[in-house]
Amino acid sequence: MEFKDYYQVLGVEKAATFEEIKKAYRKLARKYHPDVSKEPQAELRMQEINEAKAVLTDPEKRLAYDHLGHQYRSGEDFQPPPDWDAGFEFSGGGFDEADLGEFSDFFANLFGQGGGAGRGSRGYQMRGEDRHAKVVIDLEDAYQGATRTITLQVPRVDAQGRVLSREHSLNVHIPKGVKAGQHIRLSGQGGPGMGGGPAGDLFLEIHFTPDPRYRVEGRDVYQRVPVTPWEAVLGASIETPTPSGVVKVKVPAGSQSGRRLRLKGRGIPGPEPGDLYVELEVVLPPADTDRARELYETMARELAFDPRQRKGD
Amino acid sequence: MPRQLIASGELIDEVTLTLEELARACSVEVEWVVEHIESGLLADGSPYVASWRFTSRDLIRARRLYRLERDFEAAPELAALAADLIEENQRLKERLRAAGPSDH
Repeated sequence: MEFKDYYQVLGVEKAATFEEIKKAYRKLARKYHPDVSKEPQAELRMQEINEAKAVLTDPEKRLAYDHLGHQYRSGEDFQPPPDWDAGFEFSGGGFDEADLGEFSDFFANLFGQGGGAGRGSRGYQMRGEDRHAKVVIDLEDAYQGATRTITLQVPRVDAQGRVLSREHSLNVHIPKGVKAGQHIRLSGQGGPGMGGGPAGDLFLEIHFTPDPRYRVEGRDVYQRVPVTPWEAVLGASIETPTPSGVVKVKVPAGSQSGRRLRLKGRGIPGPEPGDLYVELEVVLPPADTDRARELYETMARELAFDPRQRKGD
Repeated sequence: MPRQLIASGELIDEVTLTLEELARACSVEVEWVVEHIESGLLADGSPYVASWRFTSRDLIRARRLYRLERDFEAAPELAALAADLIEENQRLKERLRAAGPSDH
Protein backbone atom coordinates (compact mmCIF):
# COMPACT_ATOMS: atom_id res chain seq x y z
CA MET A 1 0.00 0.00 0.00
CA GLU A 2 1.29 3.44 -0.89
CA PHE A 3 1.22 6.44 1.35
CA LYS A 4 -1.11 9.17 0.07
CA ASP A 5 -0.26 12.80 0.46
CA TYR A 6 -3.67 14.36 0.88
CA TYR A 7 -2.21 17.87 0.92
CA GLN A 8 -0.68 17.26 -2.49
CA VAL A 9 -3.99 15.88 -3.79
CA LEU A 10 -5.75 19.14 -2.88
CA GLY A 11 -2.75 21.30 -3.79
CA VAL A 12 -2.55 23.01 -0.42
CA GLU A 13 0.25 23.66 2.09
CA LYS A 14 0.57 21.47 5.14
CA ALA A 15 -0.26 24.52 7.22
CA ALA A 16 -3.43 25.27 5.24
CA THR A 17 -6.40 26.50 7.25
CA PHE A 18 -9.79 24.81 7.20
CA GLU A 19 -11.08 27.59 4.91
CA GLU A 20 -8.16 27.20 2.49
CA ILE A 21 -8.77 23.46 2.28
CA LYS A 22 -12.47 24.00 1.62
CA LYS A 23 -11.70 26.55 -1.10
CA ALA A 24 -9.21 24.25 -2.80
CA TYR A 25 -11.73 21.43 -2.59
CA ARG A 26 -14.54 23.49 -4.14
CA LYS A 27 -12.33 24.54 -7.05
CA LEU A 28 -11.28 20.95 -7.72
CA ALA A 29 -14.82 19.60 -7.35
CA ARG A 30 -16.00 21.94 -10.12
CA LYS A 31 -13.13 20.78 -12.31
CA TYR A 32 -13.39 17.04 -11.73
CA HIS A 33 -17.01 16.25 -10.91
CA PRO A 34 -17.57 13.37 -13.35
CA ASP A 35 -20.97 14.56 -14.59
CA VAL A 36 -19.55 17.78 -15.95
CA SER A 37 -15.79 17.29 -16.22
CA LYS A 38 -14.00 16.89 -19.50
CA GLU A 39 -10.77 15.90 -17.76
CA PRO A 40 -9.48 12.37 -18.34
CA GLN A 41 -10.04 10.05 -15.39
CA ALA A 42 -12.24 12.63 -13.69
CA GLU A 43 -13.98 9.97 -11.65
CA LEU A 44 -10.72 8.68 -10.13
CA ARG A 45 -9.51 12.20 -9.43
CA MET A 46 -12.79 13.14 -7.76
CA GLN A 47 -12.54 10.10 -5.53
CA GLU A 48 -9.05 11.14 -4.43
CA ILE A 49 -10.17 14.70 -3.83
CA ASN A 50 -13.13 13.60 -1.72
CA GLU A 51 -10.96 11.32 0.29
CA ALA A 52 -8.39 14.04 0.94
CA LYS A 53 -11.14 16.45 1.98
CA ALA A 54 -12.74 13.88 4.27
CA VAL A 55 -9.50 13.58 6.22
CA LEU A 56 -8.22 17.14 6.13
CA THR A 57 -11.49 18.84 7.09
CA ASP A 58 -11.99 16.58 10.10
CA PRO A 59 -9.83 17.99 12.90
CA GLU A 60 -9.37 14.62 14.62
CA LYS A 61 -8.46 12.73 11.50
CA ARG A 62 -6.23 15.50 10.24
CA LEU A 63 -4.31 15.52 13.51
CA ALA A 64 -3.82 11.75 13.41
CA TYR A 65 -2.91 11.84 9.73
CA ASP A 66 -0.38 14.66 10.24
CA HIS A 67 1.20 12.77 13.10
CA LEU A 68 1.69 9.80 10.80
CA GLY A 69 2.37 11.83 7.68
CA HIS A 70 5.59 13.54 8.65
CA GLN A 71 7.33 10.16 8.51
CA TYR A 72 6.22 9.31 4.98
CA ARG A 73 6.40 10.69 1.49
CA SER A 74 3.68 10.32 -1.11
CA GLY A 75 3.79 6.99 -2.92
CA GLU A 76 6.15 5.44 -0.39
CA ASP A 77 5.31 1.91 0.65
CA PHE A 78 3.25 2.17 3.76
CA GLN A 79 1.80 -0.04 6.46
CA PRO A 80 0.03 1.63 9.36
CA PRO A 81 2.16 0.97 12.46
CA PRO A 82 0.35 -0.97 15.16
CA ASP A 83 -1.61 1.34 17.42
CA TRP A 84 -0.70 4.26 15.18
CA ASP A 85 -3.80 6.06 16.33
CA ALA A 86 -3.24 5.47 20.03
CA GLY A 87 -3.82 8.73 21.82
CA PHE A 88 -6.17 10.09 19.18
CA GLU A 89 -9.86 10.23 19.77
CA PHE A 90 -12.17 9.47 16.88
CA SER A 91 -15.66 10.46 17.71
CA GLY A 92 -17.83 7.57 16.66
CA GLY A 93 -15.59 6.46 13.83
CA GLY A 94 -17.11 9.13 11.67
CA PHE A 95 -17.10 7.12 8.48
CA ASP A 96 -19.71 4.70 7.41
CA GLU A 97 -19.67 1.91 4.93
CA ALA A 98 -20.65 4.33 2.19
CA ASP A 99 -17.48 6.38 2.53
CA LEU A 100 -15.29 3.32 2.69
CA GLY A 101 -16.86 1.94 -0.46
CA GLU A 102 -15.81 5.00 -2.40
CA PHE A 103 -12.41 5.49 -0.85
CA SER A 104 -9.03 3.85 -1.27
CA ASP A 105 -7.47 0.95 0.61
CA PHE A 106 -5.10 3.44 2.16
CA PHE A 107 -8.00 5.35 3.64
CA ALA A 108 -9.86 2.23 4.71
CA ASN A 109 -6.77 0.94 6.47
CA LEU A 110 -6.31 4.11 8.44
CA PHE A 111 -9.83 5.12 9.26
CA GLY A 112 -11.98 2.19 8.32
CA GLN A 113 -13.22 -0.52 10.52
CA GLY A 114 -11.00 -3.02 8.76
CA GLY A 115 -7.81 -1.21 9.67
CA GLY A 116 -6.25 1.02 12.32
CA ALA A 117 -8.77 3.19 14.00
CA GLY A 118 -11.45 1.99 16.32
CA ARG A 119 -12.05 -1.66 15.70
CA GLY A 120 -9.82 -3.48 18.13
CA SER A 121 -9.07 -7.10 17.57
CA ARG A 122 -12.58 -8.46 17.26
CA GLY A 123 -13.34 -10.09 13.92
CA TYR A 124 -15.19 -7.67 11.71
CA GLN A 125 -16.96 -8.81 8.58
CA MET A 126 -17.92 -6.45 5.84
CA ARG A 127 -19.28 -7.02 2.38
CA GLY A 128 -17.08 -5.59 -0.37
CA GLU A 129 -18.33 -2.44 -2.00
CA ASP A 130 -20.26 -2.48 -5.26
CA ARG A 131 -18.24 -1.10 -8.12
CA HIS A 132 -19.28 0.57 -11.33
CA ALA A 133 -17.81 0.75 -14.80
CA LYS A 134 -18.94 1.89 -18.21
CA VAL A 135 -18.86 -0.38 -21.23
CA VAL A 136 -19.04 1.02 -24.74
CA ILE A 137 -20.47 -1.31 -27.37
CA ASP A 138 -21.64 -0.91 -30.95
CA LEU A 139 -25.36 -0.78 -31.62
CA GLU A 140 -24.96 -3.99 -33.64
CA ASP A 141 -23.77 -5.74 -30.45
CA ALA A 142 -27.10 -4.95 -28.81
CA TYR A 143 -28.86 -6.69 -31.72
CA GLN A 144 -26.73 -9.80 -31.64
CA GLY A 145 -25.14 -10.02 -28.23
CA ALA A 146 -21.36 -10.01 -27.87
CA THR A 147 -18.43 -10.78 -25.67
CA ARG A 148 -16.29 -7.89 -24.56
CA THR A 149 -13.09 -7.70 -22.62
CA ILE A 150 -13.61 -5.04 -20.02
CA THR A 151 -10.55 -3.33 -18.69
CA LEU A 152 -11.24 -1.81 -15.34
CA GLN A 153 -9.09 0.93 -13.95
CA VAL A 154 -8.22 0.45 -10.32
CA PRO A 155 -6.93 3.73 -8.95
CA ARG A 156 -3.66 4.31 -7.15
CA VAL A 157 -1.54 7.37 -6.47
CA ASP A 158 2.11 7.57 -7.54
CA ALA A 159 5.04 9.21 -5.77
CA GLN A 160 4.17 12.62 -7.24
CA GLY A 161 0.60 12.43 -6.00
CA ARG A 162 -0.77 11.77 -9.47
CA VAL A 163 -3.63 9.36 -9.84
CA LEU A 164 -2.61 6.36 -11.87
CA SER A 165 -4.56 3.28 -12.53
CA ARG A 166 -3.83 -0.39 -12.56
CA GLU A 167 -5.61 -2.48 -15.16
CA HIS A 168 -7.81 -5.45 -14.41
CA SER A 169 -9.29 -7.37 -17.35
CA LEU A 170 -12.53 -9.29 -17.41
CA ASN A 171 -14.36 -11.05 -20.24
CA VAL A 172 -18.04 -10.26 -20.13
CA HIS A 173 -20.99 -11.56 -22.09
CA ILE A 174 -23.13 -8.67 -23.35
CA PRO A 175 -26.64 -10.07 -23.74
CA LYS A 176 -28.68 -9.44 -26.83
CA GLY A 177 -31.27 -6.72 -26.37
CA VAL A 178 -29.31 -4.50 -24.01
CA LYS A 179 -30.18 -0.78 -24.04
CA ALA A 180 -27.99 2.27 -23.53
CA GLY A 181 -28.04 3.18 -19.85
CA GLN A 182 -28.93 -0.34 -18.80
CA HIS A 183 -26.77 -2.18 -16.29
CA ILE A 184 -25.35 -5.66 -16.24
CA ARG A 185 -24.77 -6.86 -12.70
CA LEU A 186 -21.88 -9.26 -12.18
CA SER A 187 -22.26 -10.80 -8.75
CA GLY A 188 -19.14 -10.99 -6.65
CA GLN A 189 -16.97 -9.05 -9.12
CA GLY A 190 -16.92 -5.86 -7.07
CA GLY A 191 -14.63 -4.93 -4.21
CA PRO A 192 -13.32 -7.72 -1.97
CA GLY A 193 -15.01 -8.22 1.37
CA MET A 194 -13.25 -7.64 4.67
CA GLY A 195 -12.76 -10.25 7.36
CA GLY A 196 -14.23 -13.02 5.23
CA GLY A 197 -17.23 -10.95 4.10
CA PRO A 198 -18.54 -11.56 0.58
CA ALA A 199 -17.29 -9.55 -2.38
CA GLY A 200 -19.45 -6.75 -3.75
CA ASP A 201 -21.04 -6.68 -7.20
CA LEU A 202 -19.80 -5.02 -10.36
CA PHE A 203 -22.34 -2.92 -12.26
CA LEU A 204 -21.53 -2.34 -15.91
CA GLU A 205 -23.36 0.58 -17.47
CA ILE A 206 -23.91 0.14 -21.19
CA HIS A 207 -23.12 2.92 -23.62
CA PHE A 208 -23.24 2.83 -27.42
CA THR A 209 -20.42 4.03 -29.63
CA PRO A 210 -21.70 7.21 -31.26
CA ASP A 211 -22.62 6.28 -34.81
CA PRO A 212 -23.53 9.05 -37.25
CA ARG A 213 -26.01 6.71 -38.98
CA TYR A 214 -28.20 5.99 -35.97
CA ARG A 215 -30.00 7.65 -33.11
CA VAL A 216 -31.28 5.41 -30.36
CA GLU A 217 -34.07 6.08 -27.88
CA GLY A 218 -34.68 3.18 -25.55
CA ARG A 219 -35.06 0.24 -27.90
CA ASP A 220 -36.22 2.35 -30.86
CA VAL A 221 -33.63 3.14 -33.49
CA TYR A 222 -33.82 6.08 -35.90
CA GLN A 223 -31.94 6.02 -39.13
CA ARG A 224 -31.80 8.43 -42.05
CA VAL A 225 -31.88 6.85 -45.49
CA PRO A 226 -31.05 8.84 -48.61
CA VAL A 227 -33.44 8.38 -51.55
CA THR A 228 -33.61 9.83 -55.05
CA PRO A 229 -36.39 12.29 -55.94
CA TRP A 230 -38.03 9.70 -58.24
CA GLU A 231 -37.96 7.00 -55.52
CA ALA A 232 -39.68 9.41 -53.17
CA VAL A 233 -42.23 10.70 -55.66
CA LEU A 234 -43.03 7.54 -57.59
CA GLY A 235 -42.55 5.07 -54.79
CA ALA A 236 -39.95 2.32 -54.80
CA SER A 237 -38.68 -0.71 -53.06
CA ILE A 238 -35.16 0.08 -51.81
CA GLU A 239 -32.52 -1.83 -49.92
CA THR A 240 -30.84 -0.21 -46.97
CA PRO A 241 -28.28 -1.38 -44.44
CA THR A 242 -29.65 -1.44 -40.86
CA PRO A 243 -28.10 -2.63 -37.60
CA SER A 244 -29.66 -6.05 -38.22
CA GLY A 245 -28.45 -6.33 -41.80
CA VAL A 246 -29.71 -5.19 -45.20
CA VAL A 247 -33.47 -4.69 -45.21
CA LYS A 248 -35.92 -4.05 -48.05
CA VAL A 249 -38.02 -0.96 -47.46
CA LYS A 250 -41.06 0.06 -49.44
CA VAL A 251 -41.05 3.81 -50.05
CA PRO A 252 -44.64 4.94 -50.58
CA ALA A 253 -45.32 7.12 -53.61
CA GLY A 254 -45.60 10.81 -52.84
CA SER A 255 -43.06 10.76 -49.96
CA GLN A 256 -41.30 13.94 -48.95
CA SER A 257 -37.93 14.38 -47.29
CA GLY A 258 -38.27 13.71 -43.58
CA ARG A 259 -41.03 11.13 -43.95
CA ARG A 260 -40.69 8.47 -41.29
CA LEU A 261 -41.38 4.82 -42.03
CA ARG A 262 -41.74 2.45 -39.12
CA LEU A 263 -40.29 -1.03 -39.41
CA LYS A 264 -42.03 -2.75 -36.55
CA GLY A 265 -39.85 -4.90 -34.31
CA ARG A 266 -36.65 -4.00 -36.17
CA GLY A 267 -35.27 -1.94 -33.29
CA ILE A 268 -33.23 -3.44 -30.49
CA PRO A 269 -34.60 -6.91 -29.69
CA GLY A 270 -35.96 -7.69 -26.25
CA PRO A 271 -39.09 -8.74 -24.40
CA GLU A 272 -40.66 -5.68 -26.01
CA PRO A 273 -38.56 -5.20 -29.13
CA GLY A 274 -38.09 -1.68 -30.38
CA ASP A 275 -38.98 -0.36 -33.81
CA LEU A 276 -36.68 0.94 -36.50
CA TYR A 277 -37.69 4.31 -37.90
CA VAL A 278 -36.37 5.02 -41.34
CA GLU A 279 -36.36 8.71 -42.09
CA LEU A 280 -36.27 9.46 -45.80
CA GLU A 281 -33.85 12.09 -46.97
CA VAL A 282 -34.38 13.12 -50.57
CA VAL A 283 -31.05 13.84 -52.22
CA LEU A 284 -31.01 15.79 -55.47
CA PRO A 285 -28.76 14.59 -58.26
CA PRO A 286 -26.24 17.23 -59.30
CA ALA A 287 -26.76 19.02 -62.60
CA ASP A 288 -23.23 18.29 -63.66
CA THR A 289 -23.83 17.18 -67.26
CA ASP A 290 -25.68 18.80 -70.15
CA ARG A 291 -28.28 16.06 -70.04
CA ALA A 292 -28.88 16.54 -66.31
CA ARG A 293 -29.25 20.29 -66.76
CA GLU A 294 -31.70 19.67 -69.60
CA LEU A 295 -33.82 17.41 -67.39
CA TYR A 296 -33.97 20.02 -64.61
CA GLU A 297 -34.84 22.70 -67.15
CA THR A 298 -37.64 20.55 -68.56
CA MET A 299 -39.02 20.09 -65.05
CA ALA A 300 -38.79 23.81 -64.38
CA ARG A 301 -40.72 24.52 -67.56
CA GLU A 302 -43.30 21.82 -67.34
CA LEU A 303 -44.05 21.36 -63.66
CA ALA A 304 -46.17 24.08 -62.14
CA PHE A 305 -44.52 23.79 -58.74
CA ASP A 306 -43.80 26.50 -56.20
CA PRO A 307 -42.79 25.09 -52.79
CA ARG A 308 -43.12 28.60 -51.27
CA GLN A 309 -46.74 28.88 -52.25
CA ARG A 310 -48.77 27.83 -49.25
CA LYS A 311 -51.94 25.84 -49.61
CA GLY A 312 -54.98 28.08 -49.66
CA ASP A 313 -53.03 31.12 -50.94
CA MET B 1 -2.22 -14.61 -21.18
CA PRO B 2 -4.14 -17.38 -19.45
CA ARG B 3 -7.52 -18.20 -20.92
CA GLN B 4 -10.17 -16.28 -19.06
CA LEU B 5 -13.68 -17.28 -18.25
CA ILE B 6 -16.49 -15.28 -19.72
CA ALA B 7 -18.54 -13.67 -16.99
CA SER B 8 -22.28 -13.52 -17.48
CA GLY B 9 -24.39 -11.19 -15.43
CA GLU B 10 -27.98 -10.23 -14.88
CA LEU B 11 -29.53 -7.52 -16.98
CA ILE B 12 -31.00 -4.93 -14.65
CA ASP B 13 -34.56 -4.02 -15.65
CA GLU B 14 -35.22 -7.66 -16.50
CA VAL B 15 -34.47 -8.13 -12.84
CA THR B 16 -35.12 -4.99 -10.81
CA LEU B 17 -33.19 -3.84 -7.76
CA THR B 18 -34.58 -3.90 -4.26
CA LEU B 19 -34.36 -0.83 -2.05
CA GLU B 20 -31.38 -2.32 -0.22
CA GLU B 21 -29.62 -3.25 -3.45
CA LEU B 22 -30.12 0.22 -4.89
CA ALA B 23 -28.76 1.83 -1.72
CA ARG B 24 -25.72 -0.45 -1.66
CA ALA B 25 -25.00 0.07 -5.36
CA CYS B 26 -24.98 3.83 -4.77
CA SER B 27 -23.02 3.60 -1.49
CA VAL B 28 -25.82 5.34 0.39
CA GLU B 29 -28.01 4.46 3.32
CA VAL B 30 -31.48 3.05 2.70
CA GLU B 31 -32.94 6.11 4.45
CA TRP B 32 -31.25 8.36 1.91
CA VAL B 33 -33.05 6.57 -0.92
CA VAL B 34 -36.41 6.63 0.88
CA GLU B 35 -36.13 10.35 1.64
CA HIS B 36 -35.30 11.17 -1.96
CA ILE B 37 -38.20 9.15 -3.29
CA GLU B 38 -40.61 10.68 -0.82
CA SER B 39 -39.46 14.16 -1.83
CA GLY B 40 -40.04 13.30 -5.49
CA LEU B 41 -36.37 13.75 -6.41
CA LEU B 42 -35.75 10.14 -7.33
CA ALA B 43 -37.73 7.50 -9.25
CA ASP B 44 -40.43 10.07 -9.89
CA GLY B 45 -43.00 8.55 -12.17
CA SER B 46 -41.26 5.17 -12.20
CA PRO B 47 -43.80 2.39 -12.66
CA TYR B 48 -41.98 0.25 -10.12
CA VAL B 49 -41.70 2.61 -7.22
CA ALA B 50 -44.95 1.57 -5.57
CA SER B 51 -43.51 -1.93 -5.21
CA TRP B 52 -40.10 -0.55 -4.18
CA ARG B 53 -38.29 -2.04 -7.13
CA PHE B 54 -35.79 -0.03 -9.12
CA THR B 55 -34.43 0.09 -12.66
CA SER B 56 -31.17 1.07 -14.33
CA ARG B 57 -32.56 4.56 -14.80
CA ASP B 58 -33.13 4.92 -11.06
CA LEU B 59 -29.62 3.66 -10.37
CA ILE B 60 -28.03 6.22 -12.68
CA ARG B 61 -30.17 8.98 -11.21
CA ALA B 62 -29.47 8.00 -7.60
CA ARG B 63 -25.70 7.83 -8.14
CA ARG B 64 -25.76 11.20 -9.87
CA LEU B 65 -27.77 12.82 -7.06
CA TYR B 66 -25.49 11.37 -4.40
CA ARG B 67 -22.33 12.56 -6.15
CA LEU B 68 -23.72 16.05 -6.73
CA GLU B 69 -24.78 16.37 -3.10
CA ARG B 70 -21.46 15.09 -1.82
CA ASP B 71 -19.06 16.84 -4.19
CA PHE B 72 -20.76 20.23 -3.99
CA GLU B 73 -22.26 19.88 -0.53
CA ALA B 74 -25.50 20.61 -2.34
CA ALA B 75 -28.99 20.54 -0.90
CA PRO B 76 -30.93 17.57 -2.32
CA GLU B 77 -33.34 19.76 -4.28
CA LEU B 78 -30.45 21.69 -5.81
CA ALA B 79 -28.67 18.46 -6.76
CA ALA B 80 -31.92 17.23 -8.33
CA LEU B 81 -32.21 20.46 -10.31
CA ALA B 82 -28.63 20.04 -11.57
CA ALA B 83 -29.35 16.38 -12.40
CA ASP B 84 -32.47 17.40 -14.37
CA LEU B 85 -30.41 19.89 -16.36
CA ILE B 86 -27.60 17.40 -16.99
CA GLU B 87 -30.11 14.80 -18.21
CA GLU B 88 -31.88 17.32 -20.45
CA ASN B 89 -28.52 18.45 -21.81
CA GLN B 90 -27.56 14.87 -22.61
CA ARG B 91 -30.83 14.27 -24.47
CA LEU B 92 -30.43 17.42 -26.54
CA LYS B 93 -26.77 16.67 -27.32
CA GLU B 94 -27.75 13.22 -28.52
CA ARG B 95 -30.42 14.71 -30.80
CA LEU B 96 -27.99 17.30 -32.08
CA ARG B 97 -25.40 14.64 -32.81
CA ALA B 98 -27.95 12.54 -34.70
CA ALA B 99 -29.15 15.56 -36.68
CA GLY B 100 -25.65 15.80 -38.13
CA PRO B 101 -23.32 18.76 -38.42
CA SER B 102 -25.19 22.03 -38.75
CA ASP B 103 -25.11 23.85 -42.10
CA HIS B 104 -25.89 27.17 -40.52
